[in-house]
Amino acid sequence: MRRVRGVLPVPGWEDGMAMPGNTGAPVASVKGLKVTFERAGEQIFALRGVDLEIAPSEIVALVGESGSGKSVLGLSLLGLLGHNSKPVVEGTIEVAGAEIGSLTEAQLRRLRRESLGAVFQDPMTSLNPTMRIGKQLAEVAGSAEACVELLRSVGVPDPARRLRAFPFELSGGLRQRVMIAMALAGSPKLIVADEPTTALDVTVQAQILELIRSVRDRFGTSFLLITHDLGVAATVADRVVVMYGGRVVETGRAPALLGGPEHPYTRALLRSRASLDGSGPRRLSVLRGEGVDSHSDLPGCSFAPRCELAFDGCSATPVLGSFGDHQVACWRAGSAHSPFPEDDPGEQAPAETPRSRGLASVKINDVAVSFKVGRGGSQLALKALRGVTLDIEPGGALAIVGESGSGKSTLLRAIAGLAPIASGGVEIGAGGKVQMVFQDSGASLTPWMSVEELLEERLAVCGVRDRQERRQRILEACDSVGLYRQLLPAKAGQLSGGQRQRAALARAVVVAPEVLLCDEPTSALDVSLAAIVLNLIADLRERLGMTLLFVTHDLAVARVVADHVAVMYLGEIVEVGTTEQILKDPQHPYTRSLIDAVPESGRLPVPLKGEPASPLSIPAGCSFHPRCPSALAECGERPQILKVSPLSRGHFIRCEPVLEELTWR
Amino acid sequence: MALFILRRLGSAVGVIIALTVVVFILQKISHTDPVHALLGPGASQAAIHAESVKLGLNKPLLSQFFHYLDGLVHGNLGISYRTRRPVAADLVEFLPATAELALVALVMAIGLGALFGLLSVRGGIAARIFRVVMLLGASTPGYLVAFAGLVFLYNSLHILPATGEASPGGQFQTGFVIADNLLAGQLGGAWDGLVHAILPAFSIALVPAVSIGRVFKSSLEGTLRSDYVRTARAKGLSERRVVAFHAIRNSVGPALTMTGLQLGLMFAGVAVIEEIFAWPGIGYYTAQAIPVSDFPAISGVTLVLGAGYVLINALVDIAQSLADPRIKL
Repeated sequence: MRRVRGVLPVPGWEDGMAMPGNTGAPVASVKGLKVTFERAGEQIFALRGVDLEIAPSEIVALVGESGSGKSVLGLSLLGLLGHNSKPVVEGTIEVAGAEIGSLTEAQLRRLRRESLGAVFQDPMTSLNPTMRIGKQLAEVAGSAEACVELLRSVGVPDPARRLRAFPFELSGGLRQRVMIAMALAGSPKLIVADEPTTALDVTVQAQILELIRSVRDRFGTSFLLITHDLGVAATVADRVVVMYGGRVVETGRAPALLGGPEHPYTRALLRSRASLDGSGPRRLSVLRGEGVDSHSDLPGCSFAPRCELAFDGCSATPVLGSFGDHQVACWRAGSAHSPFPEDDPGEQAPAETPRSRGLASVKINDVAVSFKVGRGGSQLALKALRGVTLDIEPGGALAIVGESGSGKSTLLRAIAGLAPIASGGVEIGAGGKVQMVFQDSGASLTPWMSVEELLEERLAVCGVRDRQERRQRILEACDSVGLYRQLLPAKAGQLSGGQRQRAALARAVVVAPEVLLCDEPTSALDVSLAAIVLNLIADLRERLGMTLLFVTHDLAVARVVADHVAVMYLGEIVEVGTTEQILKDPQHPYTRSLIDAVPESGRLPVPLKGEPASPLSIPAGCSFHPRCPSALAECGERPQILKVSPLSRGHFIRCEPVLEELTWR
Repeated sequence: MALFILRRLGSAVGVIIALTVVVFILQKISHTDPVHALLGPGASQAAIHAESVKLGLNKPLLSQFFHYLDGLVHGNLGISYRTRRPVAADLVEFLPATAELALVALVMAIGLGALFGLLSVRGGIAARIFRVVMLLGASTPGYLVAFAGLVFLYNSLHILPATGEASPGGQFQTGFVIADNLLAGQLGGAWDGLVHAILPAFSIALVPAVSIGRVFKSSLEGTLRSDYVRTARAKGLSERRVVAFHAIRNSVGPALTMTGLQLGLMFAGVAVIEEIFAWPGIGYYTAQAIPVSDFPAISGVTLVLGAGYVLINALVDIAQSLADPRIKL
């Protein structure tokens, strides 16, 4: 069996291993489900015939990109489809023995109260901000004792006191635990969790995933876990269901499916995913074509327009058929489908073309940034950066990784001159120009200006007067980022997510900057789009000789784009070195924990305890010591200094005990 | 909280000083002579001069200004040229009636605004009719609404009284007819005061009600699309409970801000409406003061309303922080 690099089965998960209570009638059963919405006079085909069964105490991961219909399927199971748009529903949805279509509104509410739970993506916005969590819990749990019991069961410390807290007073991880506690009230048979960890830091994500498994083990609750992240699916799910274009394209036991995917879409998805494995920067393989057109009926296979293997037969809708140990909806599954024509172009090292000469170095010298928060007597200093020193050679690419509150974005802003530098300085070699690309490209493009106007404005600011030349350079920039020229008159609202990020990149490079600063440019994008944007950034860097600083929370992305990685924690760099050093041989306990928490690489993630401290109250001594798995007594006493590793030059570590150990090695 | 009160007191002082400056400049450039107005056209030069000296009007403007500020600190708003009584005493007489009218109007505006928002979100034919009627009313000038009300409800149907703040022979201590009667346990008298206030208050409240209502409606619609309302529905709560317990409190913020802003405008509308309904309030008092350039009276009213505006917006801020625990004062 061919194995695709990326996600391997978790050890100890042999097929046929006894799963708790995998027998008995399914808790949810969906048959031939078609859901169509009408929006602004146009039909939107959300689900085009879905079959799904969820067994008691089974964790089913529903994987797909935006537009795949996974969230609509989740809402259908909760009976929450009909609230904002008027959907046309065909097929049957049976949950906990009740057929949802035949229930009255009151019966539906009762079903949700007694048999169903829901956990949504962002616990900050999913909890009522003005209601104490005790009251929000009591709405479903009843007595205060029951609330305390629920909070305790999801690992909220000091639960009785937390009842009086408002959601904004809790950390992100605690908020998501509260959401899970709320979903657990009334001992539901099924909890629908829609991207429950996407808004969380990677270490907290690992904790929440562990909690989901433990809830299932203790209470026998089934989960429908909706996620775009195959790594998440691989670590917690018993079974994975892959959706594309409103249909299920492949389903099977998690290890079997992720270890040997059959459907061309699943395979492409796995390949285009940035992962921690492999070495050196590389191009990600990319799915051709645009995402699903949800406005058309798409008879036949939804994926056929983008599929390398498509043939005439694909105009008939494929049905799920058994293939090996899982089920695939593909006419070419199991037949002469290997070798894939586009298989593994990502394995090849980048072409050894001489890289254009780097243009500008970036020297960051002991930069400190602090913000004042609150006002009057309660004013506090938020120390966002506490003395950061970095030296990036011309044409280098540095990834800055860390959790929320680490100061990684502030560092980028300080380099761009957008943050008030309290002390220290930033020096950009040869007076180079700096451009920035942000995470939310939609919000960073002025909504009433067309792409052309945005690019033109940039050129005008940089002193390009000649109209003819401006036009020429706009077209060139479009071509270099792969933005169709026809889209130049379009405004941000008319572009898709990928097109917007291309437009933002085009604006950044239409006057080639010497230094490109990227702030999580791919974290809001689907896996396949993210791959395109990451490749694009790498290309531009090669071609234009730009120095790249790339902020990301995702270590796998760092591996793809950067030759150096700096790990930040609470406004300080705790470890910096080559990508190879940091990812293959991490030394600082925090870096190790970050890598251990990534849900992939054929192992269960090891969650780091606790959550990052607030930059408003930074722990004394080593700021990481309260969470450090190997902290010594003296770690809380003296601050640590970033020192060069005795083993390799260019590798700096802010941890005295580790440095000592390395000296003796 | 203490800091908040201090800050607001500071801003009240600032507003009062600024308003005093504006009133003094107006007085300087208006070319009206209060002494002439007071003594009439036949007064002798000597009499005019003597009166000017008596009122301190012969002194330089700056010294008049500081003299006035000094009086303010001691609670002295000067003597009205027209009534020849301390302005403070006049205000004590006329302000309560206006305050009561404004309060009834405010309650009406908030009530109608809340209804406007809630009904719009609920939908249905009744909600539509209500909205159209409110919008029509709000786009009609206040005096026309008052006049139409008088014609139908007083003249044709005899449901409501026409003018004044109480029926002849009504008993009350101050201008607070409703409050006085309630305190004295006279429910009949309080009812009489309320009935008299309905039409003028409604005429004032209509425009603010629609402003408040529209803001509340859009805020409520946003809240009902929010993630936590989806969570509340996923919990199996009834739609009524979702709106009452999860949506309203999270939607009142913008509506409260709008209420504070509208109150300022309401005071402006009071003057005209008081004239129509012969309401013995501050608007009526001001209307009498302006033609005779009674600057102590005019500035007294201005300062009280300015201070009132600051106070009301401080109350709005307190209400905001009560509604949303994330807002700290």
